[in-house]
Amino acid sequence: MSELKTVGKPTLRMDALEKVLGTARFTHDLKAPGMLVAKVLRSPVPHGEIVKLDVAPALEVPGVVAAITSEDYVDHSNWGFPVKDDYMLAYERVRYVGDPIAAVAAESEEAAQAGIDAIVLEIKELPGVYNVHEALEEDAPLLHPELAASENEETDAEADPQYIEVQAQGNLSETLIVRQGDPVAALEKCEMVVDQHYSVAHQEHAYLETEAALATPTPDGGVIVYLGDQSPFITQSNLTMTLGLPADKVRVVQPKYIGGSFGGKSDNMYETGGQAAMLALRSGRPVKLVLNREESMLGSYKRDAMTMHYRLGADADGTLKAAKIDCWSDSGAYASMTPFTGWRASIHAMGPYRYDACDVDVRGVYTNNGYSGAFRGFGSPEVQAVSEQAVDELAEKCGIDPMDFRLKNCIRLGDTFPYGQKLEESAGLDACLERVRELSDWDKKRAEYAAQPADAEIRRGIGVGCFFHGCSQGAEGADNATHIIRLGANNRFEVISGLTDYGQGSRTVFCLIAAEAMGLPLERFEWIQNDTDVSKDCGPTVASRSTMLGGNATRVAAERLREQIRQTAALLLRCEEDQLTQEDEEFKAPDGNSVTLDDVISYSRTLNIPMSATAYWEMPHIHWSFSEGRGTPYVAYHFGAQVADVEVDTRTGKTKVLQIWAVHDVGRVVFPEGAVGQIIGGIAQGLGYGLLERVDFQEGQLTNPNFDTYLIPTAADMPPVTVEFVEDLLSFGPYGAKNVAEPSMVPTTPAILNGIYQATGERVRHTPANLERVLLGRDLKDSVVTVCRDGICERARCDIG
Amino acid sequence: MQIQFTLNGQATTVDAPADMTLLKMLREELDLTGTKCGCEIGECGACSIILDGEVVNSCLMLAAQVDGREVITIEGIRGEDGGPNDLQEAFIEAGAVQCGFCTPGMIVAATVLLEKHGYPTREQIAEGISGNLCRCTGYQQIIDAVELTARRRAGEEI
Repeated sequence: MSELKTVGKPTLRMDALEKVLGTARFTHDLKAPGMLVAKVLRSPVPHGEIVKLDVAPALEVPGVVAAITSEDYVDHSNWGFPVKDDYMLAYERVRYVGDPIAAVAAESEEAAQAGIDAIVLEIKELPGVYNVHEALEEDAPLLHPELAASENEETDAEADPQYIEVQAQGNLSETLIVRQGDPVAALEKCEMVVDQHYSVAHQEHAYLETEAALATPTPDGGVIVYLGDQSPFITQSNLTMTLGLPADKVRVVQPKYIGGSFGGKSDNMYETGGQAAMLALRSGRPVKLVLNREESMLGSYKRDAMTMHYRLGADADGTLKAAKIDCWSDSGAYASMTPFTGWRASIHAMGPYRYDACDVDVRGVYTNNGYSGAFRGFGSPEVQAVSEQAVDELAEKCGIDPMDFRLKNCIRLGDTFPYGQKLEESAGLDACLERVRELSDWDKKRAEYAAQPADAEIRRGIGVGCFFHGCSQGAEGADNATHIIRLGANNRFEVISGLTDYGQGSRTVFCLIAAEAMGLPLERFEWIQNDTDVSKDCGPTVASRSTMLGGNATRVAAERLREQIRQTAALLLRCEEDQLTQEDEEFKAPDGNSVTLDDVISYSRTLNIPMSATAYWEMPHIHWSFSEGRGTPYVAYHFGAQVADVEVDTRTGKTKVLQIWAVHDVGRVVFPEGAVGQIIGGIAQGLGYGLLERVDFQEGQLTNPNFDTYLIPTAADMPPVTVEFVEDLLSFGPYGAKNVAEPSMVPTTPAILNGIYQATGERVRHTPANLERVLLGRDLKDSVVTVCRDGICERARCDIG
Repeated sequence: MQIQFTLNGQATTVDAPADMTLLKMLREELDLTGTKCGCEIGECGACSIILDGEVVNSCLMLAAQVDGREVITIEGIRGEDGGPNDLQEAFIEAGAVQCGFCTPGMIVAATVLLEKHGYPTREQIAEGISGNLCRCTGYQQIIDAVELTARRRAGEEI
């Protein structure tokens, strides 16, 4: 590859200026003439039957213009993928506290609230279920009896091998498996075995900008929805289906600035958009719906809580042999993305190691604890927070240093993953481990902390976490993107993508790639906001797939456009195209004559040459057998390792993280400032996940719905972070790039938890490792947990930890 | 009720309901949408403004409370040419911006922090912006930006 001029070079974020000036307008900041304000009525109970719902009294309230329920939509507003179990507004039943029931649009917020208060609602409470193991008991209340009843229906799984077969049985929505050999027999032969229970808590995305939509009716009976969601084409399809409009009458436009997402702006945004859109259609006026923080936390999906039973076995010399892993994911009231997060969890549950035999079973279970869905990492942080602790426990049993144990067993180039895929390229895990060991001065600190006086009250510990994380969606489904680059105003080129930039920086990444491929300065490019009338469907903006998919589509489009420019320049210079040389914006002919890009563009206009190019790019095809639990789940993997140096005050249980070192193999770094920002931002979320964050459901009631009780890390909680990259290039990534955003938080949590263990000698197997758990080894109040013996789960009242 | 105050250096009069918050008045009556609404309980700092030289959460104040006082919002923080000032430039340069929703509040908090401390340590910066939540960046590049500004203001060669 010739030397790169733009990609990987220091660049400033393209959208930073308007953000520092405060002039960037987010959805919260939009307005339209004659705009109404909307409010949503939400369920106060975790499970109930709607006995009576009458919005007519709301319409009597002065200022109220429209009021809607599920009856206003097609098929009672039923939607959902991969399981069609959800509603824009509840139909007959509510399944979690916060489930939307009705919505009102009025001249003012006060009138809208008065309208909500006037709605007649009677709910007959039904017994709820709040624990995944209880939910699987035979007499458990069913959340979706209609789905459970359809378990024997034929599916078209045979016809479509990419399909996750959802087999509802009672409250079990699905089971995702990985299979290799006979781990039970292999574990019996292992000299060293870890057999432990762990859990991770629900996590809130806590994007700073809450859900918001502005819907405006169009004269032809359609609607334009301004929505800061992740995937406008999916919103469009859900709205088309539930509003009963053809696709050309539902336009979804993303404001140019979106206040964070982290996987959290999908289902809730389809609903927010769908509610605002119906109110706009019913009222004939623009309608703005903005959720306040409490409404956002009640109404949005979370990272699933998971309970896990890990059995890992090794030879006495520390060679990993077998894993038997059982996980129960709390899907909450609806399936949302849990079938897919469960699948990603099943692939990543063993961690990045070689095994002879393994079984993984991840079960998604309906409960009345809110609902769970996509969140940065998508199942991978949940399981690798735990597998990396289990591996540490096994290393200790074997008497081997945790870093040595990982280096001995980790996946390297040419190794085969337990599910049968050979790692053929871009395999930098061992390099990441070696480098983070050196950077953190691991061996010296590890020995030093091991020699702390037994009576020291302030104790230090150092821990490591390493990981792998499949790039993009993998065998979940079709994986492609279509980008357009076209000549726009002021002779600048517009990069048009159906992928969303909600702050992660993809607009800068795409423009850098276009600039590189066309040999032009970055200033020549401009990113155009996502709009279903303008962009092409690129699939969802999830799974850290933008750089690989959108980057490649940009690269191909830019190469095609470069050809057009060169052909036009050759015409203008009266030479052959292959005789041209290009220096930045100047094209030279062999005779010494030259023209500028602006000359070429002017000439192209006289010749009616379009100066635009469209390119489709798709991932190499792979296959995973969901029934056999084997195959190739992902085309490539991001690898990395982090070390956390922690200090624990054993008098209070307070853990202070003193420093984190992070080394990640992301393939080519395209936008260095952005990549470092993604890593450190992910580390902050991983630190919160490990030490602070738990969405606290008590019998289905969310008890911490704002930032005074749901704590996320502040600047004072964050340690200095050192970030380095191993650039083990991927042949089919754009300029060798893989992905960055999602995986960055994965190793942080276990590195901190392993550090706490070295400091205190007590392992906290349930997150978050808050003061109580670190100090007492348990929660202050007794906790009901499930204990799994011989594969049979039973409930027990005992101390966690 | 009539509220008279100085807003970003300009004498301003607003007729606002007595129960309207300062945040709502700025955003809805004056269309100064750089000040953001993140939690409405004074925890996230997205609504930070400067009132008589101090950082306050505008979601926790009534509009009427600024009568006769001086308010500076993000729209009033500018360089001499009307573009970004040195702190805002440093935010861009240090990579302190991702989604940008917390950024105006962060810059407001950092502005006052730099006025009070002159040359704060990294710990003082972290403490000084700990009332402002950011979910994207992990804060390090924000602290870098504030430190960079302090060093430049102190005349250090960077």
